[in-house]
Amino acid sequence: MNRIVIGTIVLLASLAQAQQCRARASWPTEKWPEALVNATAKAAEIKALEDYAFTIVGKPEERKGYRTNGLVVVKNGAIVYEKYARGWDENKRHLSWSVAKSVSSTLVGVAVNQGLMTLDESLCKQLPEYQSDPVVCGITVKNIITFGSGLQWQEEYEDAGYQVSSVLAMLLGSGHKDQIKHVLTHRKLHEPGTQFVYSTGDAHVVGTLAKRALTAKHGANAFWTQLFEPIGMKRVVFDEDPAGNPLGGSYVYATPRDFAKLGYLMLNDGCWNDQRLLPVGWVQQATAVSDTFRANRGDCSNATPAGEYKLPCEDTPNGYMWWLNRPPAAGVDKPWKDAPDDTYAALGHWGQRIIVIPSEDLVIMRTGDDREGSIPVNDLVKFVLPVVKP
Amino acid sequence: MKTNTLLLGLALLLAACADDNSKLRTYDNNDLELAVGNAAKMTCTCRFVMEMDEAYCKDWVRASPNVARFNIDLEKKVVDASAFISWTARAHYVDDLHGCVLE
Repeated sequence: MNRIVIGTIVLLASLAQAQQCRARASWPTEKWPEALVNATAKAAEIKALEDYAFTIVGKPEERKGYRTNGLVVVKNGAIVYEKYARGWDENKRHLSWSVAKSVSSTLVGVAVNQGLMTLDESLCKQLPEYQSDPVVCGITVKNIITFGSGLQWQEEYEDAGYQVSSVLAMLLGSGHKDQIKHVLTHRKLHEPGTQFVYSTGDAHVVGTLAKRALTAKHGANAFWTQLFEPIGMKRVVFDEDPAGNPLGGSYVYATPRDFAKLGYLMLNDGCWNDQRLLPVGWVQQATAVSDTFRANRGDCSNATPAGEYKLPCEDTPNGYMWWLNRPPAAGVDKPWKDAPDDTYAALGHWGQRIIVIPSEDLVIMRTGDDREGSIPVNDLVKFVLPVVKP
Repeated sequence: MKTNTLLLGLALLLAACADDNSKLRTYDNNDLELAVGNAAKMTCTCRFVMEMDEAYCKDWVRASPNVARFNIDLEKKVVDASAFISWTARAHYVDDLHGCVLE
């Protein structure tokens, strides 16, 4: 009997501990505190970082090299390094491209935290207009937030044939007026949750699920009142299509300082100023390799199904639309070898990055315009770490 | 004979299914439609959401093939793009929360 009582007390105590938010001296809701690194003491490290990230290669119109527009580094809750280039500054909002996917996933977390949706529910709960479609209703929120809708999708961009790009058809072509309809009328190619297929379409749906759940209770501006404003992201723009669906896979804009706050929310386990915005355990799940990702990594020969975005076994694992520094399969190295194991990131086209390293209490936010190939996460971390090390 | 015919039919059906699963889906994406849509949407975004100047935006939006021309109405916050006269697209700035929409 005594053992049961003691066990219950220990269990309750550990649950209470898990729900507690990390204490911080201050929160950057209004403004980031600044504690810039000593420019003299760190001159060599800063030069190496800036030579790497900010050096213009060739003529501007040739669009060569890594073209950094903004770089903000937050360590121990304060900005320790910040630089802008190419006409950008701290007040200008930048297009995040696929960083938007991580924003959308976080908005689902906010809705789950408020009991407005669950990961196990069918898409049709928030999208009742698809109630008669067994394919759509057979997909759960968890399936789609892990890129596992099972719907056919070809994530091709400007370098591939335009006629086979599901994403260009959605954003700019025949599907642009109702982009959720465009996604959800694709045929089922796999059982939901069994194949990881990177899809801006899946992320658009995730954003729409969050919007349906949150606006039903909080009104049209729920994304702002329930997430962006509480964490001080003051000037976020979230595009919609003509049908009113948020474009949660591609089109979210904010200043680099504000995007760093999203990283800081994740770094603080979904808490902000002692308020829990994401459920207990959400960040841990969102940054763990998803079941969907694992499902088609057992047999590497089966990891690149024809006609889909190619993800070889060596590629970067994913959680809830966050990319992870974890080995993707047994016997394979982690993707960012110079970064700590607990590093995770939101990554966007042309080199947009929010990189979170909990063990270093560090957030790196970088905006850019890399048309030759996006700046590698590994190298960015490799050059930033010496700058911020004491 | 009947069994052989059935087996042959089954094999053909399975082959057709396998082929169907590996087939790429194609879209009615006209290159010029995509080009003008991209020019309208991205120019609107660049000017009115990111608040960059016109010279920057012209370069930022430049795509290959670079056939789209655009006109910015700063007062109405509307961007019209066109290519070869008959291909057109329009994007307009909605508000400070929802940015630009391709009409």
